[in-house]
Amino acid sequence: MGEDTRRGPVTGRMWVTLIAIGLVASAIGIALGLSLRWFPAQGSTIAHKIDTFWDVLIIVSVPIFVGVVTMVLFSIWRWRQRPGEELLDGPPIHGNTKLEVVWTTIPTIIIAGLCAYATVLLLDIQNAPAKGTRVINVTGQQFAWTFSTVENGKKIQTNELYVPVGEPINFKVRSLDVIHDFWVPEWRLKVDAVPGITTGYALTPSKVGNYQVVCAELCGLGHAFMRANVHVLPAAKYAAWVQKVTTPVGAAAVGAASNGSASVDTIGKQLFVAGNPSTGTLACGTCHTMKAAGTSSATGPNLDKFVAQDPASAIREMIVNPNKEIATGFAKGVMPVNIGKTLNKQQIDALTAYIYKSVHRR
Amino acid sequence: MAAKLTSPGWYRALLYTVVGIAFTLGMSAGLRAIFNLDPVYSWQSWVTIALLMTPLFFLAGIGCFDYWWRWARGRKVVDDHADHGAHSWRDYFKVNTDHKVIGIQYICVSFFFMFVGGLMAMLVRAELAQPGRQFVDANTYNGLFSIHATLLIFLFVIPVFAGIANYVLPLMIGAPDMAFPRLNALSFWMLPLAGIMMLLSFLAPGGSFAAGWTAYAPLSVHQPMGATFFTVAVQFAGASSIATALNFLVTIITMRAPGMTFFRMPLLVWANFSTSLLVVIATPFIAASQFMVLLDRALGFNFFNPAGGGDVLMYQHVFWFYSHPAVYIMMLPGFGIISEVLATRARKPIFGYRMMAFSLLAIVVLGFTVWAHHMFVSGMQNWIRIPMMITTAIIAIPTGIKIFSWVATLWRGVLKMDTPMLWAVGFITMFTLGGISGVMLAMVPLDIHVSDTYFIVAHIHYVLFGGSMFTIFAGIYFWFPKMTGRMYNERLGKLHFWLTFVFFNLTFAPMHLIGVQGMPRRVYDYAQEFATWNLIISLSSFVLGLSSLIFLYNMIASWRGGTRAVANPWRSLTIEWQVSSPPPIFNFDAIPSVVGGPYEYGVPGAVHAVFKGAEVPSPVPAGAETSPTPATEH
Amino acid sequence: MEAAAIPAAVAHDDHHHGPPIANRSSKVEPEVLGILLFIISELMLFGAFFAAYFFIRVVAKTDWPPHGALPVEVAATNAVILLSSSLTMHWTDVSAKRGNTYAMRVGIVTTFLLGSTFLFIQINEYLSLGFNPTTNASASIFFGLTGLHGAHVVIGLLLLFMSAVRIFKGKVGPDHHKGLEVPGIYWHFVDAMWIIVFTTIYVL
Ligand SMILES: [Cu+2]
Ligand SMILES: [Cu+2]
Repeated sequence: MGEDTRRGPVTGRMWVTLIAIGLVASAIGIALGLSLRWFPAQGSTIAHKIDTFWDVLIIVSVPIFVGVVTMVLFSIWRWRQRPGEELLDGPPIHGNTKLEVVWTTIPTIIIAGLCAYATVLLLDIQNAPAKGTRVINVTGQQFAWTFSTVENGKKIQTNELYVPVGEPINFKVRSLDVIHDFWVPEWRLKVDAVPGITTGYALTPSKVGNYQVVCAELCGLGHAFMRANVHVLPAAKYAAWVQKVTTPVGAAAVGAASNGSASVDTIGKQLFVAGNPSTGTLACGTCHTMKAAGTSSATGPNLDKFVAQDPASAIREMIVNPNKEIATGFAKGVMPVNIGKTLNKQQIDALTAYIYKSVHRR
Repeated sequence: MAAKLTSPGWYRALLYTVVGIAFTLGMSAGLRAIFNLDPVYSWQSWVTIALLMTPLFFLAGIGCFDYWWRWARGRKVVDDHADHGAHSWRDYFKVNTDHKVIGIQYICVSFFFMFVGGLMAMLVRAELAQPGRQFVDANTYNGLFSIHATLLIFLFVIPVFAGIANYVLPLMIGAPDMAFPRLNALSFWMLPLAGIMMLLSFLAPGGSFAAGWTAYAPLSVHQPMGATFFTVAVQFAGASSIATALNFLVTIITMRAPGMTFFRMPLLVWANFSTSLLVVIATPFIAASQFMVLLDRALGFNFFNPAGGGDVLMYQHVFWFYSHPAVYIMMLPGFGIISEVLATRARKPIFGYRMMAFSLLAIVVLGFTVWAHHMFVSGMQNWIRIPMMITTAIIAIPTGIKIFSWVATLWRGVLKMDTPMLWAVGFITMFTLGGISGVMLAMVPLDIHVSDTYFIVAHIHYVLFGGSMFTIFAGIYFWFPKMTGRMYNERLGKLHFWLTFVFFNLTFAPMHLIGVQGMPRRVYDYAQEFATWNLIISLSSFVLGLSSLIFLYNMIASWRGGTRAVANPWRSLTIEWQVSSPPPIFNFDAIPSVVGGPYEYGVPGAVHAVFKGAEVPSPVPAGAETSPTPATEH
Repeated sequence: MEAAAIPAAVAHDDHHHGPPIANRSSKVEPEVLGILLFIISELMLFGAFFAAYFFIRVVAKTDWPPHGALPVEVAATNAVILLSSSLTMHWTDVSAKRGNTYAMRVGIVTTFLLGSTFLFIQINEYLSLGFNPTTNASASIFFGLTGLHGAHVVIGLLLLFMSAVRIFKGKVGPDHHKGLEVPGIYWHFVDAMWIIVFTTIYVL
């Protein structure tokens, strides 16, 4: 290419080629962007709306990026300084009002469009729940979740979340200590659990399955492990679950511990699996695996292995004084230190005995 | 020895520090004893007092206050310029009032903290290479990413820009120095103290500060001692930053050369003017937020204690009212650098100069109206979200104007694709990506899903690494000849760029994906499904880390033995290039007069500034400059 | 088309003289502009504490006043004291510009004493309030705002003290009064700030 033509204005043909390249590259970029599996499964009725919004954002964004890159690369290819041009200057173009108006107006229109779309979508997904919607209270504390709801006039409190599919649920989110964040990625919504106030959102789970609550706000040492299982059940199974947990074995047993009427074994197991909601004691099984109790979390050490050789006194010490000795591979300060204080002596004895018996079963 | 202990310097600084700690602690114990309280109270309070007071004694000892102290006592003060300019490398370790020395001090110290903070990022990535625990425990991990962010924000990006501007800005506007040279020195010396305090928090009982750089209350209130180190260090970094900004503003407003109207100022000056406005107005808010945390921690105040009627969300409002503008504090000076580099290396005037300046001011104003976009899922009142989304999205318009104008500046230029230019062009493309993900994040429905995920991590690294960091590299390479009087190694510079560019993208682009897929940020363990991407990210990040060593080698080797730089190797029009490299100790013999715009490339005979004593510029044939300006030796 | 390249000899002849006198591109004195910018920063610092006050009192609806009634009369007296100190400060400033040494000396001492009286009354008020910062969040922000202001009074008094020293050493006169003028501006700011703090804390 001769010196003059190369430094001269861009020809019409060149513009056509340039635009064609931009269009093709944009098309490829959009196709690539849309074909990636970005989101986890669509687990709530609003999930597909947010996923569609994302697709729109990709379609709008890719051409902008491709446009900038194309212009930059074209400029470099065509006008880079070649040997012998060391002392050459470009033309003194100071600006072009028309062009500046164009590249102010077009982004303004795009932004306005996106904001309108987002506003409509936001008003749609944050619709106030209808009266009488099932309420689930979600409480975060370092580093576990507690869920409570009322079914058939009875309070149910668990460390795993059970919800029926296809029914709207109003989550009321609170925190006992620092800020946490209640997020089930498959449902697409999240909100902080803020000490002192109640936050929340309403949604309708649309897909049966097992998911996880992921804490999305840094809350301390155990933040990465602050997960809870979510079980979205078909209506019949949910009813069966409600039936099972409202049968007055558990709660009564724990309450009865002070009278010494329930068997020590029942109390121990109940504490291990469900904790003691009235005083805020977390269930051991939320974090620890123990075959006999049927729990399987890996947040804390596996008790079947870790305490299998220990005497009951040592187990008791670990419950009351969890930071004294830390299993290799686990962090100090993750296990709540309040267990010894929120349980009475009989309850601690029962729990210790239950764990001791369970891991020494063989 | 006695003389060394009484005159400004490191010995006296050490003495004052030791005496100062003893004095303040003795004082607090004594006062408590007088009021019949347990004199010791708690070791935490002792550490807090020592953290607050020690830096002041150190600063007094090293000599930051000597002049003012003499003045305050009504003594005669003469400015003999004894502490102006560096005559040997030792002078860089003393209190110096020369803006060029302070600029280099700033740059070197902030790059030191960049390497330390970068090393922490390497450890973070090593831990995340595989699910489960690898090298560090949760406490150390939380500390590593917290201090990584804190160092790179408060001890690197913000001050390194202040350093570059310190060096070139007075030269650019034809001023002999900054308006308040001693305040300038004080601002610098507060910085390493803040940085060291952050690092020392690793030694604090209970581990380092580990609540993230955002230090959300009440987590930061409940944390062990390490958090106090952060809370106090931020005060010093903030004070340093406010003092510098004030200095820049006064310098720009009152000390421009004759003829240097606002619309003849180079865009770097405009950028630092805008940034300084942001700093002066916004930074007190982070100071206040950390004061409140400190009061809650140390004296049992109830600002963030809901049981006592405190408001937890208030912390976030106050914090982000600073920290959103802070992202522009970390970006606008970079915009300025890019404009300088592009105009010079493309040999063309900046396209739409006035719009470039106005869009900076627009960003300053809009920057104060968007803070709550960091709080879309914080549980604040829902109605705030839509106005904040709209103002946030609007910022894309002035930012877009800047990007398009830079591209238009390239158009039909004569593009010299050397190292500074590569960084500048790399910046334009990468920052566009960061800007796009920024608009996506402004969209509330999407932000609800991706906030606090790796999508955020990807976005901030595209704007702060692909954005700010690239502009810093562009600026450092661009002004290296001016600052050191030596040329850097071009081949190593290009190698550095390409390695960084490729592995930067391999490191951070996949984070967009795993973020949307559901990987939360600030976790030291993650679900198995993210394992492959995290391994790729970690491996890429190690190469990215290594590539910075090429830069380090290039800088050190070129400073020591690079070829001598001529006064104006880039054939630039702006004033800093019209003096020798490095510039004379007092910048100019006589203040130059400005007679035209700063970027009139391609206009025959155009001149930006004329010097008295220099020959009247005749329309020199392009290239007269290559007749070697005598290499200057200092 | 290059800028006038400064001949190296011209640019390089240093070490033997000081810097060239900077061009003054604005009518505003650098020192005055500096203190005004610093005051903007200070205003924002107060602004952050007022934001905290707003969130605690209005958004979180924490009880106000923190405990019993606040001693409005005491605070109002204090406002009068500070305002009159602003007047004496102004008088000092004017006297300095006129070269009236005696008035200047009386003025600065009066201003200083009025400021100290304010501080004395404020501390006494603290001791007799019947609550302390740990009582509740309202008490925290009460002490936060008044304490922040008190700290500024202390800084202002330190600056006034320096001015006083310089005045009594004869360093301030019609031609060089920057060392009085700049602390003076700061002192007016501290006084004006009290009116705002007083209104929000005690009156509203
Ligand atoms: Cu968490
Ligand atoms: Cu922001």
